[in-house]
Amino acid sequence: MCRMFASRVPGPATMRRAFAVSSGKAMRGGLRRLGLGNGTNLPGAAALAIDPATLSGLAAQIPNGSVLVTGTNGKGTTCRMLAEVMLAAGMHPILNHEGSNQISGLTTTLLTRSGLSGRLPADERAIGLFEVDEGSLPAILPQIARPRAVVITNLFRDQLDRYFEPSFVIGMLERMLRKLPVETTLVLNADDPRLAHIAADLKNPRQYFGVADSEQSRAGADPSSDSPRCPRCGGDLSYRSVFYAHLGLWSCSRCGLRRPAPQVEATKVELLGPVSSRLQLSTPVGATVLEVPFPGLYNAYNALAATAAAIACQIPESACSAIQRCRPGSFRMERIMVAGHDIYLVLAKNANGFTEVLRALLADGQPKRLLLGLNDYPGKQPDTSWIWDADFNSLCGLVPAAVLSGNRSADLAVRLKYADWLGAGAATELVVEPNPVRAFRLALEGMPAGDPLWVVSTSVVLSQLRSWLRRYGYAGQPWREQPGGAS
Amino acid sequence: MTALRITVGELYPELMSTYGDRGNVETILHRCGWRGIAADVIQLRPGDRIRPGEVDLIIIGSGGEAEQALVASDLAEIKGPGIREAVEQGAAALAVGTGFELFGHFCQPGDGPGLPGVGLFDAWTVRRHAAVGGHYDTITEARADRAIGDVLIRWGDTLLVGFENHSGRTYLGPTAQPLGKVIRGYGNCGDGFEGVLLRSAVGTHLRGPCLPKNPQLADFLIGAAVARRNGEARLQPLSDGLEDAAHQGAIQRARQAARGPDRRLALPVLHRPVSGRVPRRPVARAFSARRGSAIRQHRRPVGED
Repeated sequence: MCRMFASRVPGPATMRRAFAVSSGKAMRGGLRRLGLGNGTNLPGAAALAIDPATLSGLAAQIPNGSVLVTGTNGKGTTCRMLAEVMLAAGMHPILNHEGSNQISGLTTTLLTRSGLSGRLPADERAIGLFEVDEGSLPAILPQIARPRAVVITNLFRDQLDRYFEPSFVIGMLERMLRKLPVETTLVLNADDPRLAHIAADLKNPRQYFGVADSEQSRAGADPSSDSPRCPRCGGDLSYRSVFYAHLGLWSCSRCGLRRPAPQVEATKVELLGPVSSRLQLSTPVGATVLEVPFPGLYNAYNALAATAAAIACQIPESACSAIQRCRPGSFRMERIMVAGHDIYLVLAKNANGFTEVLRALLADGQPKRLLLGLNDYPGKQPDTSWIWDADFNSLCGLVPAAVLSGNRSADLAVRLKYADWLGAGAATELVVEPNPVRAFRLALEGMPAGDPLWVVSTSVVLSQLRSWLRRYGYAGQPWREQPGGAS
Repeated sequence: MTALRITVGELYPELMSTYGDRGNVETILHRCGWRGIAADVIQLRPGDRIRPGEVDLIIIGSGGEAEQALVASDLAEIKGPGIREAVEQGAAALAVGTGFELFGHFCQPGDGPGLPGVGLFDAWTVRRHAAVGGHYDTITEARADRAIGDVLIRWGDTLLVGFENHSGRTYLGPTAQPLGKVIRGYGNCGDGFEGVLLRSAVGTHLRGPCLPKNPQLADFLIGAAVARRNGEARLQPLSDGLEDAAHQGAIQRARQAARGPDRRLALPVLHRPVSGRVPRRPVARAFSARRGSAIRQHRRPVGED
């Protein structure tokens, strides 16, 4: 009798994991039933408190290893695109699509899929696809067995109250990459001088992506650019083209270090208004056209990152058609229909994000109505001084009316005043209303029927707005949405 | 009345501008423009000298620690004499964050090589580690060595609001006059004071865009610059409704942060040195040997009102 069950009786380690996982699952169910949020973080945190090895234990059960996507901007969208590619290739990506990208969020994703015993269902096509907060990579990377590829989208200054300066993050990433197995592919942005040669002495294969269309070139470095120095000698960098921020065709004027030739390169970029873009690609598997279903150069970069990662995972075949099918993630140009108006929810949480989103929206020169939001997270990220690095100046005059919202809307109003939005000639009609719902109503009030409204904001305003819209049946539940339509 | 004119010297516009420092220059230029004061900007990069008679307001922002190390000797040797002389002659100056640290005698990043300073202010700065030197594996570790949070200080009969995010502690020498008293936040080195004021030169840890939400401070600098160039200092008042609203919001936030449930996170976590014992020649010993214990304690706000 005893022998019969011997193989089924869990050892102390797995018993602990089973307890951790089942507590996490119970907590997630409870949180959601009680309407206390989506339960995308706390369950994982609880499981980790019971068994610190929960994440590593669960991740080790994924048969095809995992792909980790990190960087300042675009990691979520890159993940969604890559998930589509994986699905099209017949794989089953396990993605933290709810957007919780720190260690407890990843743990929650895995424990949600796992059985009560702490085992993931056997699926030989499963592959991990994790969006990882760049600051959490040191904690997460050692726990992920068989990392197939690490994708770094870009590195801008972001959340200086949390990450301090970009060079600090770079140093931390570099130390982490040195601990990777030698077969893990690094998928890197060739146009970002700080990333292109990161940990240059490593033997790991590198897959580069970049843009090479000089027509997209801007006059000079953006005000939001960090003006990085040469990563090898510290010399001045010179640019043949700047595409945005400090991304471009760079070389060092002192030691000659230059942008590596990308395997995946957009030789031509056509930005098609505030909805989409078209890229001519050259890739190791041939030239092709990629239709990106999202606007702006920043999304073109995300599509390039996803394509390069697909090649690194040896699934390049259906990459282009799959990316084309990708739907926006929550708050990434997410469209909701309210009272005959198309409402677009767009997340922007740092200087570069805000600048690029606004540029993508306003590039066609058509005046647009905006609701701009700015929130801090008291005690967590209290600093919003990055709004002074966002380039509002070049957009003044294109916005006839804007409502400002969020608990830091007063700061945003001052910023726009000093970007001449109120000046003669530009004259944007500005209304400040900290409450997102009231701000939304104000924005809709004076709007001609059928006009779209663009809500560009940090996340708190967007979540408050959406949960209000959801209550009135306008929006679905964000955690039900997953690439490929699978639930 | 002849048209008023000032010249602003912006130091290292690319390198020393990590924390939204552009906001300070924008504020000066706009507030001059609204009053009909013509403001020219001279951007001063590595290698450029400062002609003291030329600039009326010198601004240096806060770069990262790597950029600070990069510009230190250029600032001290090539620009230093011009800066000291200009301020001596009555020019205004604003030095913020890591730029402020370089306006003292020296800046010592713990175990790294010391950085020379301009020596304008009788002050010096010490930090436990150079953040970029590879001492910290995680953000939590690095965070424990920094003062991060909203700051509220009393400056004369008004309040200044801002945000601090620094690992350097600035100690003032006997001849230095602090800019203000700390009501909320950490300030220079936890001794209850923040910044330095020397004639019309202001040094402060209020990072990045400190002028937009403190229009009085901006006008103090503009007034000094105008007086030096044109011999008159009366500035026409502006309608500051938006600025005042943001200022009031920041005051409220700073006060709430100290009261609310997030108190432990919102307040800076550096420890304060034993009162009355200001190290003459500060060394790394000035910091708590063990992070954890002493550092987690809160400083009692000085100058509570």
